[in-house]
Amino acid sequence: MTKQIKQIAIYGKGGIGKSTTTSNISAALAEAGYKVMQFGCDPKADSTNTLRGGEYIPTVLDLLHANARVNAYEAIFEGFGGIYCVEAGGPQPGVGCAGRGIISAVQLLKQQDVFEALDLDVVIYDVLGDVVCGGFAVPVREGIAEHVFTVSSSDFMAIYAANNLFKGIQTYSNKGGALLGGVIANSINTDFHRDIIDDFVARTHTQVVEYVPRSLSVTQAELQGKTTIEAAPKSEQADVYRRLAKRIVEHTESKTPTPLDQQELRDWSASWADRLIAVERQSQLLAS
Amino acid sequence: MTAHDLKTTLGSAKPIVDKTIVEKTHSIEQIRYGCAIGAMQSVVAIPRAIPITHCGPGCADKQFMNLAFYNGFQGGGYGGGAVTPSTNASEREVVFGGGERLTELIGSTLKVLEADLFVVLTGCIPDLVGDDIGAVVKPFQQQAVPIVFAETGGFHGNNFTGHERVTRAIIDQFVGPYDGAPEAGTVNVWTLLPYHNTFWRGDLTEIKRLLAGIGLKVNILFGPESAGVDEWKAIPRAQFNLVIGPWLGLETARHLETKYGQPFLHAPALPIGAGETSAFLRRVAAFAGLDKDRVEAFIADEDARYYKYIEDFTDFYSEYWWGLPARFAVIGDAGYALGLTRFLVNQLGLIPARVIVTDNPPEETRGLISAEFRAIADDVAVDVAFEEDSYTIHEILRKTDFGHKPPILFGTTWERDLARDLKGAIVEVGFPSSYEVVLNRSYVGYRGALTLLEKIYTTAVGASA
Ligand SMILES: Nc1ncnc2c1ncn2[C@@H]1O[C@H](COP(=O)(O)OP(=O)(O)OP(=O)(O)O)[C@@H](O)[C@H]1O
Ligand SMILES: [Mg+2]
Repeated sequence: MTKQIKQIAIYGKGGIGKSTTTSNISAALAEAGYKVMQFGCDPKADSTNTLRGGEYIPTVLDLLHANARVNAYEAIFEGFGGIYCVEAGGPQPGVGCAGRGIISAVQLLKQQDVFEALDLDVVIYDVLGDVVCGGFAVPVREGIAEHVFTVSSSDFMAIYAANNLFKGIQTYSNKGGALLGGVIANSINTDFHRDIIDDFVARTHTQVVEYVPRSLSVTQAELQGKTTIEAAPKSEQADVYRRLAKRIVEHTESKTPTPLDQQELRDWSASWADRLIAVERQSQLLAS
Repeated sequence: MTAHDLKTTLGSAKPIVDKTIVEKTHSIEQIRYGCAIGAMQSVVAIPRAIPITHCGPGCADKQFMNLAFYNGFQGGGYGGGAVTPSTNASEREVVFGGGERLTELIGSTLKVLEADLFVVLTGCIPDLVGDDIGAVVKPFQQQAVPIVFAETGGFHGNNFTGHERVTRAIIDQFVGPYDGAPEAGTVNVWTLLPYHNTFWRGDLTEIKRLLAGIGLKVNILFGPESAGVDEWKAIPRAQFNLVIGPWLGLETARHLETKYGQPFLHAPALPIGAGETSAFLRRVAAFAGLDKDRVEAFIADEDARYYKYIEDFTDFYSEYWWGLPARFAVIGDAGYALGLTRFLVNQLGLIPARVIVTDNPPEETRGLISAEFRAIADDVAVDVAFEEDSYTIHEILRKTDFGHKPPILFGTTWERDLARDLKGAIVEVGFPSSYEVVLNRSYVGYRGALTLLEKIYTTAVGASA
């Protein structure tokens, strides 16, 4: 019997912490004995850097650019804990079509049955921030990832991006596309942050998979070209990532979210802005 | 008896306002034009010019086969058919952009092909991906290579749009600025769409002959009578531009008006037959301020020959009248359709049952086209339909009342089966004409009209064989 490979896509606003979170999830899963591939779907090709000592690897599209026929294995590099690292890559900024590049790169690995041959348990796609065209929606389309997770902070712009992604998932949901596993709440350090994100997931009928605090250990690890799991395995932050990884790998039931429409989103953020002002006033009062 | 009298024999033609409503299908069956990149054929139409196509595999070949082969079997020409270089863009060019590949192709083209002008035409792939073709072509232009580029991805429009883009590209990137004095008596002619209009070579030859006949120096620009790029270089010096046809070429004329301050004359109807042609020539002569005596002498001479033939033809026409069609339909691009309708009504006295314009003219030109058709004659107005889908076109024609005599259809190969069903005659006058072999045949002017008469009545008589 062929085993079911768990394929997961991580989306979220640019710079919100997708690659950091993804790499830590991969590292935690590898540590727990899973066979993992991390697939960076971003022309920047920096998704797997912290799994390989901060070093960039040649991308699938680099190879496709140089040769008409490519052996997919030439684009696979081993990283921390035996994680298979792949970067889709893309054209230089301003030319060509990066979206089509993602499609080509994913197709190349699929065609050559790489996932099966490597006997993978988990594939995680780390997709670039803004889904600007069809190519970047490939991982959520039929037959690729089954579960999507969104990284979001409590910032309005991050939530706005998450809500947009929900719309995309909703579009593809009745066409066999991936469904939403939940929100990975990143950089959540106060109750107030937590309340905002909790309210958002409640309204959109999804869930928070894990609250990840903003932590210096992440920055320190990144400077060494490592994940927190590798650089500070005993830290509290590493345990947060382990918990997150466990929940993701054990996750089975994804759902179609109910995104807010433009007006609802505006009203919603306005109501939180009012509360934020009230909270600040109170803290000023307490301080004086 | 003159052709004008023929009309009275048949009685005055009444407008037929039969609003046959056929619903739009949003699909196109049996195409009636090519892609914008089909304008590669406009480049082929310029002597010693070669198109370079930057598009996916099949695009260029399909345009050539459709427009130049299965349409009068016109052939490849100097730079068309198998000669035309193409990047054959593939996935690689999509993902990384096709700039490098195009640079390579232009370089190797220059090694093996000799031309006075190269025109790079882009297809959908580079236009969607956003290849910077200007940046690719510029270094070649700086090395004095006669090369220009036009963006002709299919989503910009059809081959008519492509033609205007190619023309504009050559004017702006190759002909360049000019601020000398205009040359009195020289005209640039903007009219039929080369290759697409199956008889364009013969027609342009006749148009040039006519204009030269009244004393103009003619830049015909396309086809065997053109002097090639020298003529294009001479465009800015012309006294004026002449647009013959309801809309194609107008954009170019307006551009030239702004660019070089050249005035233009717009003659919406392609002149077919003595009446139309003489009136057309007088109008052009007045606009250009030509010597009246010379113009009238030329017209008189042409008229005399024309009507001599018509006189002889009248014997046949009056004897055979019972076997000849009375009502007709025209299915074609606005240019040919208007010229033909005017000729058939005003000179032959036939009754227009239906006219369908198939070249998808720009929305803003449709009012003028409709108005032209409503003013075919004092007592003949035609409600023209704009339609591109052959299924719909044929539905409209099946519902059209052609009276009790067999109709005659002026259309394309796509109307063959329909004509058989309607037990009528068919004369192929437009794209695609796959059952016509066309060399220098023309249907315009004085001479072309006689050829058209031959064709029409040979078809009618031949049906009883
Ligand atoms: N929980 C955290 N604590 C501290 N720093 C964090 C945390 N999460 C992310 N960062 C930092 O934020 C920055 C951006 O993170 P990352 O590169 O993972 O974002 P991304 O969403 O992948 O961005 P892009 O959209 O550009 O790919 C990095 O410097 C990273 O170290
Ligand atoms: Mg990233």
